[in-house]
Amino acid sequence: MTSVAGGPVAVELGPDEAAARVAASPPWLAARRRAAWDAYTALPMPSSQRDEDWRRTDISGLHLERFTPLRDVDAGLLAAMRLQRDQAAPGAAFALDAPAADLVITDADGLLAQGVIVTTLQDAASRHTELVQRALAAHTVDESKFSALWNAMWRGGVFVYVPSGVDAVAPVWIAHAASGDGAAVFPATVIVLDDAASLTVIDAYASPRGSQPLFSDAIAALTAGRDSRLDYIALQQWGEGAWHVATHRASLGANAKLRFFGATFGARLQKAYWEASLDGTGAEADIAGVCFGDGEQHLDHQSLQAHRAPETRSNLLLKVAVRDQARSVYSGLIEVAPAAVHADGYVQNRNLLLSHGAKADSVPRLEIRANDVKCGHGATAGHIDDEQRFYFMTRGVPREDADSLIVRGFMDDVIARVPHVGVANLLGTLLDSEIAGEPQSGVTEVEG
Amino acid sequence: MSGPARLVTQGLRASVEGKEILKGIDIEVAQGEIHALMGPNGSGKSTLAFTVMGHPKYEVTGGAMSFDDQDLLGLRADDRAKLGLFLCFQYPTAIPGVTTVNFLRAALRAQGKEMPAREFMKRLSDEMAALRIDESFRSRYINDGFSGGEKKRSEILQLAMLRPRLAILDETDSGLDVDALRTVAEGVMRIAGPDIGVLVITHYPRILEYLRPHVVHVMHDGRVVMSGGPDLARRIEREGYEPILGTAVPEPARV
Repeated sequence: MTSVAGGPVAVELGPDEAAARVAASPPWLAARRRAAWDAYTALPMPSSQRDEDWRRTDISGLHLERFTPLRDVDAGLLAAMRLQRDQAAPGAAFALDAPAADLVITDADGLLAQGVIVTTLQDAASRHTELVQRALAAHTVDESKFSALWNAMWRGGVFVYVPSGVDAVAPVWIAHAASGDGAAVFPATVIVLDDAASLTVIDAYASPRGSQPLFSDAIAALTAGRDSRLDYIALQQWGEGAWHVATHRASLGANAKLRFFGATFGARLQKAYWEASLDGTGAEADIAGVCFGDGEQHLDHQSLQAHRAPETRSNLLLKVAVRDQARSVYSGLIEVAPAAVHADGYVQNRNLLLSHGAKADSVPRLEIRANDVKCGHGATAGHIDDEQRFYFMTRGVPREDADSLIVRGFMDDVIARVPHVGVANLLGTLLDSEIAGEPQSGVTEVEG
Repeated sequence: MSGPARLVTQGLRASVEGKEILKGIDIEVAQGEIHALMGPNGSGKSTLAFTVMGHPKYEVTGGAMSFDDQDLLGLRADDRAKLGLFLCFQYPTAIPGVTTVNFLRAALRAQGKEMPAREFMKRLSDEMAALRIDESFRSRYINDGFSGGEKKRSEILQLAMLRPRLAILDETDSGLDVDALRTVAEGVMRIAGPDIGVLVITHYPRILEYLRPHVVHVMHDGRVVMSGGPDLARRIEREGYEPILGTAVPEPARV
């Protein structure tokens, strides 16, 4: 096994590691990290009994003291993640979220020539202080145990800034990679689009196949300025031993348009927040996602569509298929502030249960404090329809093939909402493999 | 193969959810023949269609059933289809996310009737044109949002593409206006010939003016009570079922 980007050794997620992160940070960030560490030590672990967010997702089996910060990225894993990029979006810049501060960004020349900044978050924290501060303002260090820990511990990270009026010539493919037994990673993605800028980002999280324990505590902070357009795709393929807690949060200025797509395949347990804050008049967020769970996976998505300005529009569709003993938990809230007159929001979650042991909970909610709005929600869960299966079979298609085609069909409309055609094809392929009984938890390493 | 393949049922009895619907059906349809199965609502015609095709909800409780000398009992619906049986559904189900093209491709592949993509598209185009189905239906999800008439045309399109040895048309004429009825009936007649047997289930004699069945059966209360030539259909049109059945036809429970 070969490695890239080695870093200083730390043995645990303790005060020494926190102090090392403080020491490696510019003063403003050092202060933030200190406050974050204090908050982390003061806050209790979330509990299914105490915390509404965690009511259906039990993390009492997560023992953070057993994890140590990731030091190296395995070259075979990195090659596999690059190969995905090559196949789905060959023109995309590739940015590795590495544990050390070394710059691991390639194929970004076209973007750099446009004045786009693509660098590590660590580097941006010193050189583009104000932009980073503004982007992180939406993630207060004490908002949760995991947010506090992330703020104290993240290293490397990826930062992208698109200047005003610039239509980025290529997507940015961000690779958050982790391997090894008991590694802890703090994936960091910070994207800032200035007014009327546009960009496509693929945010990929992956580890090798297998059941090695892994802990991922991730934040993606997305800021889209007035009249900007951000297409953002999160692809989660952690191995089956991973615990993954993530917050993907977008703040949208006036008339900004966000197309957000989340694809969840991996991890033994996931708690992912998908949030869009529609802060400016006329902002729009289209959020869609696909999730396939098998084995013992527990996959939790919690979404927020926060309408904070007039004439804002949001739409969310999450489609989930679960089989074996897998469990999906979904809760989603559309929140309409008093100022958000004429808000238009919709949230729906559709679940397909492929085994009798599989389970899906769904709780979409509306909280409306403005007049003259249009909001709705929907949720369904069910097994494969017997009549659809019989219809296929009367045409000669065997039951198993019929079921595969029905499941793929169930996902078809949501895959059509992936805002990048190459990535849509990749996700279709991953889904086909899942449906064929090959779980896509983790990726197969490639000779580097 | 010795002679044309035949669908044969002998004393066929079947139940749905514990209720006996078919009470001993004897029927024999050979390749090259067109049979009509008529009878009032609730007489068990559609149950016969689903039972022959192997719907898991229809339990065979007695008798025998074969096609081309192969026992159908114990065969799953997909195996029956591979033998050459086809059912034109009265109410075909929608399958969101599966386009007509993908549905047909999967069916042809499953039956070992795959053809090169260009030939497939050409044949599909021709059949759609003949059935007056808009090109856009290729990429529409099958039966999803189709009108009643569009569903019937789509079923006949599948019949034309799959070319079975025996087709059961379950009330393919119901809910069609005169023009659509003619289009659909002509579609069936283009396929009819020595290689296909057709069993047309209908209430109404009108479709039979186009299909010209060789044999007409009348079914009532789970049994075939009369069989005859084309005249029988005309007699039903003139007189209704009651004089033939020799009894008042009760308003049946829907099955």
